[in-house]
Amino acid sequence: MYLHIKSDTCVRYKNGGVEQIMFLAMKELMHSKMRFLMIVIIFVLLAWLVFILSGLGNGLSTLAASTFKNMKADYVLFEQGSQNAMGKSLLSDQLVEQVEQLPQVNAASPMGSTMATALKGQSTKNEDKIDIAIIGINPGSFLEPAIVEGSGLSAENPNHVIVNVTMKDDGFKLGDTFQLDGSTESLTIVGFVENQTYNHVTAVFTPMEEWRKITFAAPGSDKGIAGPVNAIMLQGKDIDSSAINDKLPGTDTVTRAEAVQGMPGYKEENGSIMMMLGFLLVISAFVLGVFFYVITMQKTNQFGIMKAIGARNGFLSKAIVSQVFVLSLISIVVGILLTYGTAAIMPKGMPFKLETNLVIIYSVILLIIAVLSSLVSVRKITKIDPLKALGRVE
Amino acid sequence: MTKGLQISGVTKYYAEGSGRIAALDHVSLKVEPGEFVAVVGPSGSGKSTFLSIAGALLRPSEGEVTVNGQLISKLSDRELSKIRLQEIGFIMQSSNLVPYLNVLDQVLIVKRMSGRVSKEDKAFAIQLLEELGLGSKLKSYPEELSGGEKQRTAIARALSNNPNVILADEPTASLDTKRAHEVVELIAHEVKSRRKAAIMVTHDERMLEYCDKIYRMEDGTLSLLQTNQREAMNLVKV
Ligand SMILES: Nc1ncnc2c1ncn2[C@@H]1O[C@H](COP(=O)(O)OP(=O)(O)OP(=O)(O)O)[C@@H](O)[C@H]1O
Ligand SMILES: [Mg+2]
Repeated sequence: MYLHIKSDTCVRYKNGGVEQIMFLAMKELMHSKMRFLMIVIIFVLLAWLVFILSGLGNGLSTLAASTFKNMKADYVLFEQGSQNAMGKSLLSDQLVEQVEQLPQVNAASPMGSTMATALKGQSTKNEDKIDIAIIGINPGSFLEPAIVEGSGLSAENPNHVIVNVTMKDDGFKLGDTFQLDGSTESLTIVGFVENQTYNHVTAVFTPMEEWRKITFAAPGSDKGIAGPVNAIMLQGKDIDSSAINDKLPGTDTVTRAEAVQGMPGYKEENGSIMMMLGFLLVISAFVLGVFFYVITMQKTNQFGIMKAIGARNGFLSKAIVSQVFVLSLISIVVGILLTYGTAAIMPKGMPFKLETNLVIIYSVILLIIAVLSSLVSVRKITKIDPLKALGRVE
Repeated sequence: MTKGLQISGVTKYYAEGSGRIAALDHVSLKVEPGEFVAVVGPSGSGKSTFLSIAGALLRPSEGEVTVNGQLISKLSDRELSKIRLQEIGFIMQSSNLVPYLNVLDQVLIVKRMSGRVSKEDKAFAIQLLEELGLGSKLKSYPEELSGGEKQRTAIARALSNNPNVILADEPTASLDTKRAHEVVELIAHEVKSRRKAAIMVTHDERMLEYCDKIYRMEDGTLSLLQTNQREAMNLVKV
């Protein structure tokens, strides 16, 4: 019964390939499926919640400011002291020419915004009153969004407007004319645009002239300013806002992102979603960390055995981290699938918008959190005494 | 360079309450390649402590251990695990297998720790297991094995990396007489044919016939009891 041990067995002490690293991790996963399934379930729920919340946050901020975010403008020039808010700012459009002369400013175009209510026909029913945001722009300027159906704005027909496609869901179609509540003005839809919402409601683009008629209907509400507008949008990548502030007294130039923050309620709304997400991620880190730790503690003895027969800390650490990595990857993928599934059955009006790059970012964050939280367990392993494996301490 | 295992003046203190107890008291022992040494002694006399120190699992409080020419008392933890992996085959008092690996993987894990597992490694592991009577249990998990089968798996694992030093802490405790003889005979054969240095702690008088020297451990001191070199040589079919 004697055997022959190869005398030429040259023991190389080096790292194995991926297969070597994953070996222990996978063997254990396959052997105790139930235990790991439970972790995966917890992780999937956490990931699902993270993705849903990020989708909601994204949806809400899109609803709040997609018009602003989609504008091809880099900076916004407000009246001084307007807190970067359209509603608090009133300027003369004569400034447009002046600001265009300034260095780094490639183009400038005025904009105005007013909240209003569209009346569908003569109806007095609740559902036939639709909240809209009237955005006044110069026809043909860089602020005019691309048309997906119909035609664009024209200066000759000031009450021809282009509106967001969501108005179709409210029963409006091309050529329809609607009245504004509390105003004598009526507007005719000549074109549809996409992804244009402002202050959580549908955006309706009108020529500047028509916007002024609607907004400054009451005498004196324009404060006597010639050609009043709310703000002037600027194009130019390297605009020096403080230089503009110096050149044009009484104005305040900010980046578009700052202007978005200045929208009423935007910061608060976005802030609370971000805070929830932040807390959720921190809680996830704790929950996962504790789970991995408990599982690792249960395995103290076998890690000791392996150390006793010569396993280095690195070998065992890789086994743990790769195991956590695999579990996380599975959980995150399932979480993403569930999220897209949820999105598919969500009611249409829900402000829920998944964006691939957001999903990727949060996946990576979750993955990093999981791996980091497993490092606590790794630390514990490196401290395990191989003598424990000799059956003395149990 | 001196091959084999050398232990000189090793003392081990364990903290106990406010004081300390000496589990080992100036123990010295030299095991040449090809020599099979037995250590007997009452429970609690320090045998496992001694073996743990010889096996680079425990650092002595005083004294030196030299494994295959390398002085291990100065080595880092990382280097110690390398010594354990390459130089030492440890058969533990209770078999201590990894619960989620089958018998074959238990043996191959040692190879995985040091690099890749080649076809030859696998063939060799299977051969080793077959000769230990585990040919039909290659895919079994520890929970499906008897105590003796677990112990034989642990022996196969200890031999799988062709170590220069074999340390066995009561390897036959859970085996029947026939298997016990086979296992010790196997170890003895390994020692002789591959010139390994081996120490076996045992309570089993019948196993002493395979050993070249028998030491007795009592209250942490080691003393030579008997040398039966010729007999041992005759018993083993080389
Ligand atoms: N980690 C430890 N801490 C404190 N004392 C210890 C520790 N390990 C062992 N001892 C003590 O050291 C002495 C020797 O223990 P050891 O395990 O070496 O005995 P042994 O000869 O192997 O006994 P057995 O035959 O029962 O296995 C015992 O008195 C034991 O209580
Ligand atoms: Mg013992």
